[in-house]
Amino acid sequence: MHITTIGKYTALEALRTRVPATAMLALVLLVCASLFIRELAVFEAMRFQTGFYAAAARLVAVFLTSVYALASITREFNDKGLEVVLALDVPRTHYICGKLAGFMVVAMFIAVVMSLPLWILAPAGAACTWTASLMIELALIAALSLFCVVTFSQLLPAAGFVAAFYLLARCITAMRLMGAHPISGEDTPSQQFASALVEGLGYLLPALDQWTATSWLVDSPPEPVQLLGIFLQGMVYLTLLTAAALFDFHRRSL
Amino acid sequence: MSALFRDGEERTLHAVPFMVLLLLALALTLQIIFHAQQATPQARAESLEPAPSANVLRTASFGESIVAAQFSVLYLQAFDNQPGISIPFRALDYNRVMSWLQIALQLDPQSGYPLMMASQLYGQVNDEPRQRMMCEFVHARFLEAPDLRWRWLAHCAIMAKHRLRDQPLALRYATDITQYAGTASGWARQMRIFILEDMGELGSAKVLLGGLLATGEVTDPSELHFLTERLKTLEERENSAGTTKIRQ
Repeated sequence: MHITTIGKYTALEALRTRVPATAMLALVLLVCASLFIRELAVFEAMRFQTGFYAAAARLVAVFLTSVYALASITREFNDKGLEVVLALDVPRTHYICGKLAGFMVVAMFIAVVMSLPLWILAPAGAACTWTASLMIELALIAALSLFCVVTFSQLLPAAGFVAAFYLLARCITAMRLMGAHPISGEDTPSQQFASALVEGLGYLLPALDQWTATSWLVDSPPEPVQLLGIFLQGMVYLTLLTAAALFDFHRRSL
Repeated sequence: MSALFRDGEERTLHAVPFMVLLLLALALTLQIIFHAQQATPQARAESLEPAPSANVLRTASFGESIVAAQFSVLYLQAFDNQPGISIPFRALDYNRVMSWLQIALQLDPQSGYPLMMASQLYGQVNDEPRQRMMCEFVHARFLEAPDLRWRWLAHCAIMAKHRLRDQPLALRYATDITQYAGTASGWARQMRIFILEDMGELGSAKVLLGGLLATGEVTDPSELHFLTERLKTLEERENSAGTTKIRQ
């Protein structure tokens, strides 16, 4: 009951802080920019437009979801709203789960809105797969933002951590490849250390470079098994981030 | 780490419900198992795509042709180092390499970078047909702007002489430098003479060297002295060759 109520009010807060309007505005701007790119292209104009829009929309969606989640919790900390909520008979677990549920509703909304033009630009199957993958990605980003802001309490370090995590997760496959096959061919201790470090990071990070790929829209959609893999990885990581946020939140002294 | 950013004390671990700890441990274990189940990424060499047209690049760079040219050569230069894999030059499609170099030159004709890459990077591959392709590419581009691009053709002339062991090709390049590149350095313009000398064409070399000295093109005293000595040596060698022929 608590979870539903907190989730509902978190989603309502998004509505009142103009998140849908911001998403729609971003959508319009990106469509205009993609039309401009389309006009620039001498050939494969549709491919240019789809590629640009999909890549930009993904980044904008991640940005909106993350900033909204970070700002919402930070404001609650600063306004002492958290103390008021916890003074009631609300378990801390319910608070975190409720907030996460609300953020995930917002994330789903942003994913659906940002993918709307792709239903025209790309085949329906590809657009559907891309949207599903973006939903999982944004749900994960919402959970990551919640965990970071609970852990760091401050907006700046939390936002920095989310950005660094996201960039690292998008590059981790390339880093693993480079670590495993150094161009210099040297097998020095420093090389071995760097390779082990990158491999270790690979165990802790989801390989986001394989999610929500633009190539699904302009080339060929992924195999169903790939989408299933993304779904499973997303669920596991979502659970991990939620557990980590719960762990930190339970240790937090008001 | 979180303590760095938070005021006040944290509660002890006992404050965390057992189920949360269990969930955290379980999720972390699942994440590690999930990762371990995934196939190790394999480095896969991507083939070099043909260069887009100059108009596409010019438009895509919002009219910044020079920047587009610079990005083109950097893209090409970095292509052999893909994540986790290093592609040998001989594995590259040299026709596509040439198309990228050509586009870069079209976008920025004043730049010597594409010709430097052709002669000193891609031309150094241990494969004669590819070396010749690069030399011919440099030669064709030289003819478009001889005074600007002679030094790269001079490098190809040296390469043809010493690596390809193709004296006629070296002579052709050296002759074109002398003929078309009026502002080329003396050493490049005189290269033809020494190649002729190496080919045993002493008469032709002597005529050219004598002509060079007679026209007054060479003004530097040291260079003048060196070339005069060289002319004398050629004359002596020609005379001794003539004497040997009479004796025979």
